[in-house]
Amino acid sequence: MTNINLSDAEKRYIVDGVKLGIRVDGRESLDYRQLEIETGLVDTANGSARIRLDRTDVLVTVKMEMEPPVPEEPRNGLLRFFVNCSANAAPEFEGRGGEDLATSLSSMLERVYSSPRTLDTSKLCVVPGKYVKVLYVDIEILECGGNLFDTSSLGVKAALFATKMPKIYITGEDGGELEFSVSDNPTDVDRLDVSNAPILITHLRITENLTVVDPTPEEECCGPVCVVVGVTPNGFITATQQFGGGTFTPQTLATAIKSAKDLGQKIHYHLRSKLIQEENNVDRQIKGFL
Amino acid sequence: MGIQERKQKVFYRKTKKGNIIKIVREHYLRDDVWCGLDGCGMCEGELRPLDVLTTSDSSLVKEPHHLIIDTNVALHQADVLAHDSITNIVIPQTVIQEVRHRSLPIYKRLRDLIDTSSKKFYVFTNEHHGECFVEREEKESANDRNDRAIRLASWWYKQHFRLSNQNVVLLTNDITNRDKARELEVEAYTMHEYVSSLQNSPGLLDIVAQVEEEKEEDVTYQGYLFPPHWPMDKIRSSIKAGKLHQGVLKTSRNNFLEANVLVEELEKPVLIQGRLNLNRALHDDVVAIQIFPKEQWSAPSAVVIDQEKQEEETGNNEDENADEQMLKKEQALLVAGKGDGECQPTGCVVGIVRRKWRQYCGIIKKNDITESLRHLFIPSDKKIPFIRIETRQAELMYNKRLIVAIDSWPRNSRNPKGHFVRVIGTIGDKDAENEVILLEHDCPHTKFSEAVLNCLPKMPWTITEKDEAERDDLRHLDICSVDPVGCTDIDDALHCRTLPNGNFEVGVHIADVSHFIRPNTALDKEAQNRSTTVYLTNRRIDMVPDLLSSNLCSLRGNVDRFAFSVIWEMTPDAKVLSSRFCKSIIKSRGELSYEMAQNRIDNPTMTDDLTISLRNLNMLAKQIKAQRIENGALVLASMEVKFHIDPETDSVIDIVAKQHLETMSMVEEFMLLANVTAAETTLEHFPDCALLRRHPAPPHSNFDPLLAAAKSQKIELDVSSNKTLANSLNAATKDNNPFFNSMLRIMTTRCMMQALYFCSGTLEPSEYSHYGLATPTYTHFTSPIRRYADIIVHRLLAVIIEADRTYPELLEPKKLADLTQHINYRHKMAQYAGRGSAEVTAIASLKGKVSEFDSYVLFLHKNAIQVLVPTIGQQLTLYLDKRNRKKDEIGKLKTKQPDAMEIDEEVPFPEFEFNEKELYVTCNDLVIRPFDELRIQASVDATDVQHQRVVCKLVRPVIPGFSVDPVVKEVVSKEKEKQNHDSQKTEEESKDTKKKREISERGKKKKKIKK
Repeated sequence: MTNINLSDAEKRYIVDGVKLGIRVDGRESLDYRQLEIETGLVDTANGSARIRLDRTDVLVTVKMEMEPPVPEEPRNGLLRFFVNCSANAAPEFEGRGGEDLATSLSSMLERVYSSPRTLDTSKLCVVPGKYVKVLYVDIEILECGGNLFDTSSLGVKAALFATKMPKIYITGEDGGELEFSVSDNPTDVDRLDVSNAPILITHLRITENLTVVDPTPEEECCGPVCVVVGVTPNGFITATQQFGGGTFTPQTLATAIKSAKDLGQKIHYHLRSKLIQEENNVDRQIKGFL
Repeated sequence: MGIQERKQKVFYRKTKKGNIIKIVREHYLRDDVWCGLDGCGMCEGELRPLDVLTTSDSSLVKEPHHLIIDTNVALHQADVLAHDSITNIVIPQTVIQEVRHRSLPIYKRLRDLIDTSSKKFYVFTNEHHGECFVEREEKESANDRNDRAIRLASWWYKQHFRLSNQNVVLLTNDITNRDKARELEVEAYTMHEYVSSLQNSPGLLDIVAQVEEEKEEDVTYQGYLFPPHWPMDKIRSSIKAGKLHQGVLKTSRNNFLEANVLVEELEKPVLIQGRLNLNRALHDDVVAIQIFPKEQWSAPSAVVIDQEKQEEETGNNEDENADEQMLKKEQALLVAGKGDGECQPTGCVVGIVRRKWRQYCGIIKKNDITESLRHLFIPSDKKIPFIRIETRQAELMYNKRLIVAIDSWPRNSRNPKGHFVRVIGTIGDKDAENEVILLEHDCPHTKFSEAVLNCLPKMPWTITEKDEAERDDLRHLDICSVDPVGCTDIDDALHCRTLPNGNFEVGVHIADVSHFIRPNTALDKEAQNRSTTVYLTNRRIDMVPDLLSSNLCSLRGNVDRFAFSVIWEMTPDAKVLSSRFCKSIIKSRGELSYEMAQNRIDNPTMTDDLTISLRNLNMLAKQIKAQRIENGALVLASMEVKFHIDPETDSVIDIVAKQHLETMSMVEEFMLLANVTAAETTLEHFPDCALLRRHPAPPHSNFDPLLAAAKSQKIELDVSSNKTLANSLNAATKDNNPFFNSMLRIMTTRCMMQALYFCSGTLEPSEYSHYGLATPTYTHFTSPIRRYADIIVHRLLAVIIEADRTYPELLEPKKLADLTQHINYRHKMAQYAGRGSAEVTAIASLKGKVSEFDSYVLFLHKNAIQVLVPTIGQQLTLYLDKRNRKKDEIGKLKTKQPDAMEIDEEVPFPEFEFNEKELYVTCNDLVIRPFDELRIQASVDATDVQHQRVVCKLVRPVIPGFSVDPVVKEVVSKEKEKQNHDSQKTEEESKDTKKKREISERGKKKKKIKK
């Protein structure tokens, strides 16, 4: 995704290492780097999370708006994903350079969340056919250190987990327009049930039958093709998508998907427990960017 | 010392558009918030109003103590707090904020108390105090949190004051709050308990308000004032099903709480009464209404209800209770004013189909609380409710005319909400006032654009040989124009000569504007958009650029001009034998004024050709008029007056009624004849696309008010046709009231329908007729400089005489019909603008003095009489209720008026009784009927610079307790100095300006043809 100029010898070194089961930074092929997550660091948003994975740094914010639903689904709220690739993250994002990546990331997220078994959007309905809550999920790529899809999806899940929406009271109707009010108590909020929210797991093909997860930018230079799999905590696969030019053999693909499912469940479990742990920490000082 | 900690205040707010936004505010806690005690060893700070106390007046609290109050005490016990004996009070910031939120008037009062140094009130900024800040807990209501903050502040004070040997007592009205405070070992009492214990202030207990313990307010509850509107789809289906009706809402001029909805399928308009039934509909909105069952039908109220007065009385109260009170009061007013007239279908608005919101001109109401962001905007259109706006620059807006747009009218708001658009100018400034009038009436008044000016002929303009070849050369004829003094846009001229056979050749020559304004040019489009020249008392907004209107088209004396002429051959008894139209070149022998022409006719020594032709014209005109009246034409009256304005100071020097001279009638008759001839000719050649003007006969019900009024004076009018009406108007005179007949005619004018332009193809020929002039066809041909309709007629005639080519739009009935609609609208608006301008000027002329006028009763209401003052040409309202009076008396007391006025106050206010059926108002033995003469006093109440209004008082007939003494006495007693000063000034001015050229702006253009 980001272009690093590697010599053939360097690439060979990386590929050979993977073949031997050892990666440049000492991980095995199915090991993740260490994740850092913090939620609630943007005060003005309804929910926010910042996630760091080595040098990859993503800030996700969730804002709630009241809007009319789409006509086909009058009882369902909406999630809308917007990705912004900051030019600070990588030089090639400058100008409109990051747009392609941003579109593929946001459409991938939209796809994995569009499955009815992920997030129950009917809970976002205020008045059927008139008003639903629309959650605008803004993903700001601050720095790029590889494995953007997985990182972003984890950030989205964490931010949705932390999202607090003020309780809305319908108070009447006027000329077909609904009237509602919000509680003046900021603690009087609705939460989202993210227990089924999916994350993305990317397998990067290094050689014909070998894939790695969580590749570094250097590794990404060595593998032209990857498969992204959306997995729910129950191991349910909501979407798969191949990026890059190249082919997967059926066996490799099957293995990759199978491993994504197992790995996904594991990561879901850890993410959830850490988020709950953070939530229960009453006197948590928000670290933010300091 | 300084900032200790940062906190964040988080809350959600609903935006206007219905979105919910999260707002986060930084909030810093400090350790240098002082206690305000003068002599506190630990605290610094300049402001230390609190004294070190040594005694206690209370039997409950023996040691000396300061008081801390909570919000409820501040809200409900402001009277006690204002009492002299209550000093040394600590007001937590929490309380101040809550009070401000709940009631602005009380907030203002509290602020005043705090600013009074002798009261020794101290505002403790507890919200920013490191030790007193409390954060709202989950499940805790905002009120509970605030109470807790106040208790904590009290507790802190108690600890802090120990070192200075002082104590504090918390005063609250809330028993639970009191008990909770006691748990913190803070002494706390209710206001009642505390004041009862005071030994030296026995009277104070009386002013303690007996307030029920405040109920917990449900935070989600919002009091809705208005019932909801129905959803659009439901409205549509109900209208189809006939359950609802749709129509345009027209707010009553006299009563802002009453409106009529004109429903197409119903014969009578539907009455809507009261704020709730109007349900946020504004004048001109298309609304859906539900009609009540017949038992609930009502009659239009007979009272005049002025919005401003109502608003003033209710005050700027922000509570919901105020809304309720106001509603009750308004309801009472309506019930009290219920007319005895015939019941009308009555209903309520259930939804608004189409809003007719526009931008409104007006002024901002002064708010007592200067830092408040919310202000009331008073539209200059009385039919529009006040608009609430939020602004931070209110100071800049006082004394200014503003434009405001309405954004929404939510159910819980008494007034629509809007926002400020721009400032027009200072109140009273000529240009600003004019612009208000023009904007309110949608009159285009910008400068002519470059593209338009490029269409003008290049100067110097000369007549070419080609022109001479195409046109009849009439330069040898003795043509002259007769117009009011100072008229610069002369669009007609006349001539008359004797033919060898003894008949007369009479010519009317109209400025050939269509020669200069070619179809579909920028100039044409602009003129079409403007449609008419607008005449304000001190400004003229031209339809075509000045070069045309005052120069090339204007038929000035002794220069060659193009004209469109109509020439008749007439017998000496004014029978038209033949008529023809032609394009011509004329040379007027003189621009005469009506007076000059009249003098020539009356002066037997003058025997020049021009004078002789004028005499002949006059002779013929008299006969034409007689024929017209014989046919049933009405002679109506309006009350236009002429303002003499000093061009430099813009002040009104003099107001004179429009004089009537024979020559005016002479010009008018020939113009009518020219118009009728033009109408007949165009209709003959273009049966489908002639532009005509019709005046429908008014429906009989239009005459009801006139007949009722006449009946009360024992006059019967026959309104079955225009002829019978004209006859009975001629017969109706009263010896004791010379103005009676004119009044009757003025009132008849008001019963008339609007005359309208239309395209002949779009209506049945039977509908073409003109009621007022009693002609089967009529149009406008004679004033193309100031009316666009005339230009179209000129173009049609030019095609007929083969002097010009036609173009597609001209002959398409549909396009022409649209155009007539547009012209009709502009005409109506221009007329209103002119009237509005006259009103403003008339009121300006009343300023700064008390004037007395003879006036005539026009309409009677339960609480008011509307009178017509011919001297200034205005209609004024004389209120019959006490309100004015009371105010007045208070004013008098303030100015310490001696004896003369005291007699007045002893006389009880007289009772007026209104008989709506027979139309009269009685007071003791006195009866006031329509058309009666009243002597009134008018002055402008300028106490509020922003909003000046005319105050009327009755002088004669004398009604003890109501009428006032004639102005002579007033001068001596009341406004002695001012009055003398003013009258002197006016005299000087008038002397001064006699030397100057008298300019009568309004009189620049005549209104020769009334309809």
